[in-house]
Amino acid sequence: MYVAAKGGERAIQQAEQLFRELNGTFDATFVRLIERHMPYLIDRVMGEGSLYAPELAALALAQTGGDLYEAVLLLRAYRSTQPRLAYAEPLDEAHTFTVRRISAAFKDIPGGQYLGPTLDYSHRLLHLDVLDGRDSAPASPDGATGDPIDKTGAADLPFDPHPPALTDWHRRYGLLAPLPDLPPHDPASVPDVTRDPIHFPAPRAHRLQSLARADTGGVLALGYASMRGYGMIHPTVNEVRLGYADVRLRHPVSGALFSAGRVRVCQGEVVTPAGSGSDAHPSTNGAAPPAALNPGFTATIGWNEVKVIAGAMLDLEMEAANAHPAHREEFVLYHTEAVEASGFCIHFKLPHYVTFNSSLDAIRRAYAAVQQAEPQ
Amino acid sequence: MIEQSSYLSILARAPAVDVKSFAEALIPMLDDIEVLQNRTGLVMLPMRDTVRGELFYAGEALLAEAHVRIRGAEGYAACLGRDLQQALAIALIDAAYTASTARSDIEAFVAAQAAAQAEADAALCLAVARTRVQMETF
Repeated sequence: MYVAAKGGERAIQQAEQLFRELNGTFDATFVRLIERHMPYLIDRVMGEGSLYAPELAALALAQTGGDLYEAVLLLRAYRSTQPRLAYAEPLDEAHTFTVRRISAAFKDIPGGQYLGPTLDYSHRLLHLDVLDGRDSAPASPDGATGDPIDKTGAADLPFDPHPPALTDWHRRYGLLAPLPDLPPHDPASVPDVTRDPIHFPAPRAHRLQSLARADTGGVLALGYASMRGYGMIHPTVNEVRLGYADVRLRHPVSGALFSAGRVRVCQGEVVTPAGSGSDAHPSTNGAAPPAALNPGFTATIGWNEVKVIAGAMLDLEMEAANAHPAHREEFVLYHTEAVEASGFCIHFKLPHYVTFNSSLDAIRRAYAAVQQAEPQ
Repeated sequence: MIEQSSYLSILARAPAVDVKSFAEALIPMLDDIEVLQNRTGLVMLPMRDTVRGELFYAGEALLAEAHVRIRGAEGYAACLGRDLQQALAIALIDAAYTASTARSDIEAFVAAQAAAQAEADAALCLAVARTRVQMETF
């Protein structure tokens, strides 16, 4: 039972002032600096906040002193004040400027593998010389800071920034089951977790939307548990792709399709041989698998590779008939919701005097009853 | 003549300060501007799941939109972010172009922005192309 408490207004005002004094003030210039120089942090806040608004994500980070959960909450709260104006055309490969595309399953993929912007293969060494006044610079192949990237001349091979989905290639060779005949898409009729409660088993749209806006740490923790052996699968990364997707809208008067701008998106696919693990894929119903591979998928706004890889593994785990309890759909989706989880956690800081004292009273009464019952 | 879908896309991606400045110069040529709508809001971002082919919402995006009317010609714009003036400026350009006002100026401005964007895309393409990796196994 919750009981309202009052009082402490002056202390609350002073506490907020002390927060600002200890953590520094911020202004528009500082917010722009965060937006410009912390894109992956911005992406994480936008992804979990489920709102693509880099400027506001930077403001949220500045306002909260970098407290991620508070920043995500601010973005979600802002989102709730805005009307829904439109439904974009589906984001797809043909309208996404891809800048990174790698596969750990197939080394020769149509369109090629591109490392793109990454520090994956860089030395994990702090550039202490920056603290001594030297400017940061792109790393050269030997790991030392060197010349800026060469933007002139030609590349060895032409690059198509709109490579097709790798899964289409798999389907041509029977590695993946053919896509079912789906009705023509209506972006406005997709099941939406922000408007409808999730019922289990959840529609796939609910599952993927929940993973897209899930807490990165939560998805990683559950995904890592699967990777370490609590899971039923041992998948391989089929494709990780980062890019800038056009947000395509229809002109309300002419009906012309146009792009309102580009958003950073990333997606991850994992695959596992069909029938591997302790049980068969449920879609096979125990019969011979329809294709060689079972796939898992997750995507999100912003670039967040850890989240889409771990999420794709969880997508596969959730398909298993006898998944570990921590990898069942209800467990995963409920416990990786960033705002609900962090909100429930920090609510324990709020006054619980009445409920706690009620518990204490109950224990005291129990002790007293026991003492009375014991023979003297 | 530029396709509406093309110039709206180019203007939405162009630097807001340049678009506003260009629209400001157009305003004296436009009379009876009626602003029907100028607001911020959300656009849902559906995405296709590449493994099952189903649609889901990857998230939402904040956008500014504007809807104007000039002598019967309607103009509309939507651009990511919350810059209402940027959206209004593009909507004015859209209405002006639809009303055949200052078409050559608009076409020249759009062409310059398109060239800058194509150059930026080409540079990015080249930079990404140089990260192509050929994996070898032993």
